[in-house]
Amino acid sequence: MDMQAGEQHEFLTSLIDVAELYDSAPCGYCSLSPSGTIIRINRTLLNWLQYDEQELLGQKFSLLLSKGGQMHFEMFFMPMASVKNAVKELSYEIVRKDGSIMTVLLNASVRLDDKGKVAAINNVLTDNSGRTQYEKDLMQAKRQAESEKKRLQFMADLVPEIIWTATAKGNLDYVNARFCQYFDCDGWQTRSSFILSKVHPDELKNLLRVWRECLDSGTDLQINVRLANPAGQYEWHLLKAAKFLDEEGNLTNWFGSCANINSHVKALKKKDEFINIASHELKTPITSLKAVLQLLDRIKADPANKMIPSLIEKANRNVNKVNTLVEDLLNASQMNEGQLHLNKTEINLAELIGDCVYHIRVDQQYDIITTGAKEATVFADEGRIEQVVNNFISNAMKYAPDSKQINIVITEQSGTVLVEVSDRGPGISAEKLPLLFDRYYQIENKGGKYSGLGLGLFICAEIIKRHGGTIGAKSIVGEGSTFWFRLPKEN
Amino acid sequence: MAEHVIKRNNVNIIGNGEQVMIFAHGFGCDQNAWKFIVDAFTNDYKLVLFDYTGSGNSDISQYNQSKYSKIEGYVQDLLDVCEALQLKDAIFVGHSVSSMVGLLAANQHPEYFSKLILIGPSPRYLNAQNYTGGFEQKDLEGLFEFMDSNYLGWSSAMAPAIMGNADRPELGDFLTSSFCATDPEVAREFARVTFFGDNREDLPKSTVSSLTLQCAEDIIAPAIVGQYVNDHTPGNVLVQLKATGHCPHISEPEETIAAIKQYLNAN
Repeated sequence: MDMQAGEQHEFLTSLIDVAELYDSAPCGYCSLSPSGTIIRINRTLLNWLQYDEQELLGQKFSLLLSKGGQMHFEMFFMPMASVKNAVKELSYEIVRKDGSIMTVLLNASVRLDDKGKVAAINNVLTDNSGRTQYEKDLMQAKRQAESEKKRLQFMADLVPEIIWTATAKGNLDYVNARFCQYFDCDGWQTRSSFILSKVHPDELKNLLRVWRECLDSGTDLQINVRLANPAGQYEWHLLKAAKFLDEEGNLTNWFGSCANINSHVKALKKKDEFINIASHELKTPITSLKAVLQLLDRIKADPANKMIPSLIEKANRNVNKVNTLVEDLLNASQMNEGQLHLNKTEINLAELIGDCVYHIRVDQQYDIITTGAKEATVFADEGRIEQVVNNFISNAMKYAPDSKQINIVITEQSGTVLVEVSDRGPGISAEKLPLLFDRYYQIENKGGKYSGLGLGLFICAEIIKRHGGTIGAKSIVGEGSTFWFRLPKEN
Repeated sequence: MAEHVIKRNNVNIIGNGEQVMIFAHGFGCDQNAWKFIVDAFTNDYKLVLFDYTGSGNSDISQYNQSKYSKIEGYVQDLLDVCEALQLKDAIFVGHSVSSMVGLLAANQHPEYFSKLILIGPSPRYLNAQNYTGGFEQKDLEGLFEFMDSNYLGWSSAMAPAIMGNADRPELGDFLTSSFCATDPEVAREFARVTFFGDNREDLPKSTVSSLTLQCAEDIIAPAIVGQYVNDHTPGNVLVQLKATGHCPHISEPEETIAAIKQYLNAN
């Protein structure tokens, strides 16, 4: 049942006991004179501050504040109250009687007299301690977040790869320090147009198309492109991006990397070229062999045909060629996989060289002169060292066909034996010398026609290295070249 | 040049008199601080009001941290205004730190000024050997802390401190509508400049006659500091006000007006 109108009025009146409301309010009240003296104060505030009313009446309010607070009160609160007639939410620390501190928010309104002059300043103080702690925690959390951000930034900058992020729409919005280093730019230059200007024109269109597809479909990006470095040279990069979904599954960001794969791509290219060369090399003797077999097939009815011995001889030569090529390939892959087994014995290098030279002299018109320490021995795999010597001599004959003299010098030097094979051919230019022992490297010969797999010297170098020796070449263009290796005498 | 200064320092000229009075506001305020006393002078004087660069409605884009990290930057503002208006023998009225700005400006260019009225001046706020300024270093650090957490009210200070959004358009609106419209960063730098300054050696160099208005119970510029200014500044008259606090032109404008007029009429 509703209360009667009279009863309700009485009840409401009883709620508004002004004195009680003032004294027991859940906030502090105090009134100040225009000069800042406390002229009235409620019980709540007295309880908070642990003072008796008589102790505070007539005292300056600012004396309840710390010294910094007093200055602030005089310079901000008082002028603001006088000029604006109101003060909103200033935060002060008030010192209680026992010296402890409480934080309050101070709001004030000003009572004016008839002439518009300040008669009193009425203050409301609310206990802000809990909130102040909360603020401090928030500030702490903010500082933590900032230092975490810095740490991540630091990591992102130090990582040896280029890292970037883009908005959901695909615009770059962050790049790390490596990015700036590589492209020699500032972070703010990271508009998409800047990076697109670095993409090789041949790949630009495709990149844009693929990236657009990724943006539309949300699939990850992975593409190889050439990017220009600050020197203007294009290098191959693997560009990757993965989408980042927020908790609701919305695509908010793309996280990307950009790895320099230039040497990798180049190595693959070299391998492709090598396979091309190897196929050609193998094809030539096989074609000859096929021709021989066709001829033999045609004359097989006549075993007395005079051509037969020479055809067989030709077939043998071509089979040997194929055999050598396949052996080289096998050797090279063995070297690669570290499967080269050495069967070491004590060998006399002059004798070993003599054997090699004997076989070559038999069918070639070369003058091969061996001089030096004929008694020198090394502890080595005879077959493998023979391979090296043969390779040096046949190279000399191949690349210096017009010089009919090859000199071999054996020198013993402090526990090692040095073997030098010199021709008087056209020589090799200085910039090409260090490349000779690389795999797949081949000096272009005049006709531009490939000759050999370019594996020979690579295999030689591996053999000597496994023996703990060194290998090299020196040359003067127009005078000739010297290939040498040095082996330790003992194991 | 003149126009640039007038815009930069938000110079306003009011009043019907010939004799010029130039009013320089104190720390943390702007020319609005003079609103209770200017009317008393407009009949007899021409009043020049301005805001220091970075304060009030000055052109904040002209604020240059290195220039205004020394009191000389503010002295230059005052001299620029004097030059722009081609002032001669003006009466300077400065509150608080502006007292020293006025005195330094007059030491450089005495021809601009005929009298200096210094309200609550202090040549040095920090205590030193044989000198009482009223403050220890830690007191001032306390003030800076207050300023950081309290600029024009808790909510206008805490939210940006926590969220860290430096460019809030609403702050500009808030500032222009409030008393003491000063950018918080500028206010803090201003405070450092003024509260850590030491201009005691400049007082004896003054050649322009001056008035010190000393408030009662002023914790910012205590009576002993006003006495020091009076003792060390040639041609200085000290008047003790009944007004308490640091801003008598705001809390007790009548008494302040009367004291200024009495001095001007007598000298």
